Amino acid sequence: MKLPRGVRDAAIALGIIIVFGSLAMLLAGVNPLDGFSALLIGALGNVQETAETLVQTTSLLFPALGIALAFRAGLFNIGAEGQLLMGGLLAGVLGEQLTAPGFVTIPILLLAGAVGGGLWGALAGWLRARFAANEVIATLMLNYVAIQVAAYAISGPLKSAGGAGYETGELPAQSWLPTILPDTRLTVALILALALAFFLRWMLRSTVVGYQLRAVGDAPQAARRAGIDLAKMRFWTMAASGAIAGLGGATVVLGVLHRFNLALSPGYGFIGIAVALVGELDPLWVTVAAFVFGILQNGAIGMQAAANVPRDVVTAIEGLIILVLAGRRIITRNGSD
Amino acid sequence: MLSFLWLMLIKSAPLVYAALGGVLCERSGVLNIGLEGMIAIGAFSGVSISYATGNAVIGAIGGVASGALLGAILGLAATRFRVEQIVAGTGINLIALGGAAYGLVIVFGQPGASKEVNALGPAGEIAMVCLALALAGLLHVFLYWTRAGLHVRACGENPRAADVAGIDPLRVRFWATTAGGALAALGGVFLAMAELDLYSDGMSAGRGFIALAAVIFGRWNPLGAAAAALFFGAFEALQFTLQRTGIPSEFMQALPFVAALVALAGFAGRARAPASDGIPYTRAR
Repeated sequence: MKLPRGVRDAAIALGIIIVFGSLAMLLAGVNPLDGFSALLIGALGNVQETAETLVQTTSLLFPALGIALAFRAGLFNIGAEGQLLMGGLLAGVLGEQLTAPGFVTIPILLLAGAVGGGLWGALAGWLRARFAANEVIATLMLNYVAIQVAAYAISGPLKSAGGAGYETGELPAQSWLPTILPDTRLTVALILALALAFFLRWMLRSTVVGYQLRAVGDAPQAARRAGIDLAKMRFWTMAASGAIAGLGGATVVLGVLHRFNLALSPGYGFIGIAVALVGELDPLWVTVAAFVFGILQNGAIGMQAAANVPRDVVTAIEGLIILVLAGRRIITRNGSD
Repeated sequence: MLSFLWLMLIKSAPLVYAALGGVLCERSGVLNIGLEGMIAIGAFSGVSISYATGNAVIGAIGGVASGALLGAILGLAATRFRVEQIVAGTGINLIALGGAAYGLVIVFGQPGASKEVNALGPAGEIAMVCLALALAGLLHVFLYWTRAGLHVRACGENPRAADVAGIDPLRVRFWATTAGGALAALGGVFLAMAELDLYSDGMSAGRGFIALAAVIFGRWNPLGAAAAALFFGAFEALQFTLQRTGIPSEFMQALPFVAALVALAGFAGRARAPASDGIPYTRAR
């Protein structure tokens, strides 16, 4: 049952891309065939570009997995962007200072990223559990608080000698994530993200915690009667969801930029919502969806360079896919239980 | 002092428009995350149409219409198609912001910012500031003193009861969201055509989300939301003055969101959202 729907969704998404993409290319005076071939060559044309597409896939996959986990528990976490930023901030600031061999610093810094994002997610979880604050609005507002907190920290009290403007100095080379393809930016972060996806799929399907988490999302009343502490479950799910997004922020810092920059995410946390929903909140399909969005993200750059189609059109098309595909799934919302 | 008040009003006006749009949507039961995109599309379309026709007023009307269209799309998605409103709103934002950035290249042949166009000028600026304040009062009267306003609120609180009483919640929500989009787009028209005379990428600069914060801080009530928008606008106007006192500008930029969180958590009086805010409604057969 899963596959047919997945195939249908893929067909719809492809249809949107072809119809609206062609329209946008024609308006820009470009032959759609040239435009789309530029997009595909830009995304998958050679080893370098394919690697870069996989880098984008990785950066989208972490927040998307975190979002999927929260949604499965009926928690609308739209704060992945802020959680990712806080994770990146902690990893970047700490990473610039740490000078030890990589096998020591890298695990510490990845953990720091998870802690940063986890705390930011937990803040929303706490507001929800303690004050019954609507987590949609809380996580949304916290995104913008996160930007200001990071901007203040990085230009004020945590300003480093090597940093300029809204970024830290470069991390010591031993703390960079090892690449898995020479001369590309593709690092072990991809393997980590895939492992996480498999772990989450296993956890959700085959463990007691996973079952409880889904129960809280699907039938909170029944879950409570069965003795599950809803408030506790929601708090820890938000924390875990934030931690996964924060881990993603840390991999961008350690693997892609080698420093923290306030603009490290071009909206991974928002597009991640679409990735999670198009992937039906199932970690396996979320991974596939992340790859498709990765192709769009990276292909857009090639399309702009080779065919002169403004890459922003890809953002608009992603928005359309979100509107048509991602919103259809009604998440069981437990506003009043 | 007078010049500060004027600056505050200018900084507040776009927030007031968008916040009023947000109040109208949420009162009917649609949580409109897409305000940001509606501001942007209003600003971009207004400038583009003014560029094409050479007439600022036609441009402004076109800008508002584009916001209404985007609101209608969200309204349809949220009612007939029962799409998750928050997700749909996120989609609307990407469509509008991406579309405007793409449109700059198509219409003006240059990325980043449009050319300068015929705008509404100082008189238009004054008129639009007054209109924003007047609309706050009008929306209040509409929501609390008219039959139609009661219907809107009923759909946001208890759509089932409204339905039983003969009101079609889907219809009410659709029109409220369409009008809300038009209001938010007025904020964009103000930014691009009253305060300035061009559109540039990132011009909305998170104002849609500050407006959402104002809706919450203003307790989902037009006068309250407008007051909150004025309050946030005052901080924006004070930014340069306060910076000299040593308060980091980041604190002031975070203030609207922190204020909303505080209101949401129930300090200083509980902020209660309309009971069915953001929850899709299905008509019983």
